[in-house]
Amino acid sequence: MADLAHETMADHEHPEHESTGVENRKLGMWAFLSSEFLFFGALISNYLLYSNRSGFAGPYPSDIYDIPFTSVSSFVLLMSSLTMVLAHNALTREDQAGTRTWLFATAALGAVFLGGQVFEFTEFIVEFDMKLTTNPAASAFYMLTGFHGAHVAIGVIMLLSLWGISRRPGGLSEKHGMNLELVGLYWHFVDIIWIVIFTVVYLLSVPS
Amino acid sequence: MSSEEHIHHPTPAQYWKIAVVLAVLTAIEVGLFYVDQAYDLGFLNAAMLLILAALKFVIVVGFFMHLRFEKSTLSRFFTAGFILAFSLYAIVLTALGVIAIRGG
Repeated sequence: MADLAHETMADHEHPEHESTGVENRKLGMWAFLSSEFLFFGALISNYLLYSNRSGFAGPYPSDIYDIPFTSVSSFVLLMSSLTMVLAHNALTREDQAGTRTWLFATAALGAVFLGGQVFEFTEFIVEFDMKLTTNPAASAFYMLTGFHGAHVAIGVIMLLSLWGISRRPGGLSEKHGMNLELVGLYWHFVDIIWIVIFTVVYLLSVPS
Repeated sequence: MSSEEHIHHPTPAQYWKIAVVLAVLTAIEVGLFYVDQAYDLGFLNAAMLLILAALKFVIVVGFFMHLRFEKSTLSRFFTAGFILAFSLYAIVLTALGVIAIRGG
């Protein structure tokens, strides 16, 4: 029994490796992100299906996009991927101060992006009267960008949690290092989904 | 940190350079959007914007997510998910006439 208990504790203290040679949690995160393509693919397809359906009351999202504003938001999210990877890099060099700084910067840039999305939604609803049920294109737009925003919000919460842990004495341990790597993968994925949304939903939807 | 730590990852300076490339690609995308608004490039605009987006996608996945430096198992997982989703929705959108309508 004692041996079994000791073995179980040891299992928890050291990362498990399967025959793939990749840590289980990391493989799990990649599998999860891979499955997320189907989720966002459905939402993007839904938008493409309804974005040009005529016969409904306007305005349609593509009539009221503010491309300069969304371009800046996209740039902010793109740069948050840089700060995320710098946080990860700092931790591999055991630079706890650098890790803290870049983690906070990533969370802050994510919060700026979310603020931009709240501003955009508010403008669409208040200024242009495009509500969730105004037309199918509006519903599809809010569903897609809203779910993406929810992913960003979850990412910001995870980043702030890691930042909070990093402020404790000793900073982030080796165990938390893997957590940071997993949160980083999630964050970059949210960024690549936005790269697709920005091009397909915004830039390609506006008629010439 | 991980079992793949010994693999040479980019340095912070290289990450900054990659970010500059991403920023430039984004600027080109936005510039192309305005050129299309003025001159109606048609299919060329769509093709170029999709290529630029694909480039940004690959750069972020390859360098920031380190997929380029990871074991091939992870690449297969990720690529399989992407290809599955892309194929599925391409078929659905073609069947529903969305892709044909946009191409025409």
